[in-house]
Amino acid sequence: MRNRKAINTNNEDITNILPEECISYILSLTSPADVCRSKLVSPVFRSAADSDTIWGKFLPSDCYDIISNASSSSSSKLLTSSMSKTQLYFHLCKNPIIIDNGTMSFGLDKATGKKCYMLGARRLSISWANTPRYWRWKRVPESRFSEVAELKEVWWLDVKGTIETKILSPNTTYVAYLVYKFSSSRYGFEKKPVDLHVELGESDAGRTFRIFLDPSANIPQFSREREDGWMEVKLGEFFNEHGDDGKATCSLREVDNYTPKKGLIIEGIDIRPKDSR
Amino acid sequence: MSEVDMAVIKPEMMKSYIWLQTADGSIQQVEQEVAMFCPMICHEVIQKGMGSSKNYAISLPQRVNPAMLSLILDYCRFHQVPGRSNKERKSFDEKFIRMDTKRLCELTSAADSLQLKPLVDLTSRALARIIEGKSPEEIREIFHLPDDLTEEEKLEPLKNTTDDPRIRLLNRLYAKKRKELKERQKLKNIEVEEERVDDRSVDDLLSFINGDNGDSKGIKNSKSKKKNRRRKDQQKNTSANEAIKNHNKEPNGLNQVCCSAEVGQTVRAGVGATSNLHDVEDDIFDNKNELDDGDIDDEIDPALKEKIDREVEDFARRLNSDWPERMQEILSFGHERKPVHFSLNGNGSLRRYANSEQR
Repeated sequence: MRNRKAINTNNEDITNILPEECISYILSLTSPADVCRSKLVSPVFRSAADSDTIWGKFLPSDCYDIISNASSSSSSKLLTSSMSKTQLYFHLCKNPIIIDNGTMSFGLDKATGKKCYMLGARRLSISWANTPRYWRWKRVPESRFSEVAELKEVWWLDVKGTIETKILSPNTTYVAYLVYKFSSSRYGFEKKPVDLHVELGESDAGRTFRIFLDPSANIPQFSREREDGWMEVKLGEFFNEHGDDGKATCSLREVDNYTPKKGLIIEGIDIRPKDSR
Repeated sequence: MSEVDMAVIKPEMMKSYIWLQTADGSIQQVEQEVAMFCPMICHEVIQKGMGSSKNYAISLPQRVNPAMLSLILDYCRFHQVPGRSNKERKSFDEKFIRMDTKRLCELTSAADSLQLKPLVDLTSRALARIIEGKSPEEIREIFHLPDDLTEEEKLEPLKNTTDDPRIRLLNRLYAKKRKELKERQKLKNIEVEEERVDDRSVDDLLSFINGDNGDSKGIKNSKSKKKNRRRKDQQKNTSANEAIKNHNKEPNGLNQVCCSAEVGQTVRAGVGATSNLHDVEDDIFDNKNELDDGDIDDEIDPALKEKIDREVEDFARRLNSDWPERMQEILSFGHERKPVHFSLNGNGSLRRYANSEQR
């Protein structure tokens, strides 16, 4: 490291004691959230916080491998290859890239730098999904995927998604959400509750919650609106330690066979760290 | 003895010393193995041959004042001894960094200029722990920093933090605007798509509208046609589901039965299931009795007919291909005799007007 002249050693201000490179190094040992906050401390901190050494450290180690597998149709591949590490980090937080033949999206959780994935509807196992009179596949502009699944009418509603824990960030509690909306002709979801379930690996029985997806008045609403305009409902959560637990399975079912259901539009299942936005 | 003599006696004392000079001019000598622990000093000695005597003392960087040098040398003195266990080293380190924040910063800076990476790591981690989780105000307090960011600068980095509710609200508004624009775009696309809609469905729709303005028979007619068709299909579906229910609820099994149902093999359905279905349908359609297929009435006066034609065209244009569901909603309003006007909201839901004004 080069020798740096301190500007004014008599000053109490530590930014006159520590060169900016040192401050950047110190910040790289904190967390993404801390670094963002530190931008509000002083001009020197602000400048130190924009260093590639910091954000390069916060990017997942296999980040560039994942990007290189992005769908070739996505322009984000071209974009991301020309970005600095800092730019790439913030880009992935706001703009998930589509990978794996357009069936999945990959992004980062801003506060922690952990990996987030959304399984597109095409990647899920939806019973009857290939029968046109029950489900329909269509393009909508507000989806990140090329197709979403729209329920026309079905008695047996069974939507399931799986994800390999080895692609997730280690030592993280993940939460799975069904990303959906209702069309104007929805029916059945106010009459019967649905079963929401998440289990990890082969031996885990998992947990099931039963809620009304379209509750009438006085019944609690478990869904909430997302920033991208879709709704989401929590299916469950699991803890990923080392990524060697096999697959996590998330599902939504309503299979009593006495209530037809209509009008559910599914974008996918969003899997992200707990307490992320 | 003079210092020069000391240098001469060196071999007998089995100890070498390196001469170091700090920025304030003071010179001291340090045991060679201790000083050489610092890469910068090591470089000076080996590459440039400096430090062997007082006159050739190595000039240390300005960031290394005598107090800091003393601390650094303590650190080096301990760690350069090879025989220590990891536990010992860790314990030493923990005690070593217990000092006030300012000294910690000075030490980091000094260690950095001497390229002593293990010490830089140690002190940096300690400072990182101090910064973690603190608000900007608290950090300024700890490091005695003035609050001298401009208002503009304070706003800009906020884009990267998730905490500010104002920015979040702004983002939400932007998202809503974007959504609106997309919906409008979507409607435009639907209008384009309309041309490709199946003729039959539009005709059915027209006849339904006409029927609605005459008497409610029209409603039941077209509805009942659909109802019969639906009933048959749903029987099939129910049978398939019934069969599945009786076996395992494996998704694979489901698909297999699904396939066979489509091929046309019927499975015996429980009567209970079918009648449940009928009840449900009745609830939806709200009108149980008339099942006769009849012709649609056309006894409307010309002026009214013209008006209705215009409305029909408008309605047909706005409708997307998903018209069975639309029909349902219309039918649930179908009690009233007087004409009602429908148009679509931006999000595709129907809106009804009580007066005869066009939207």
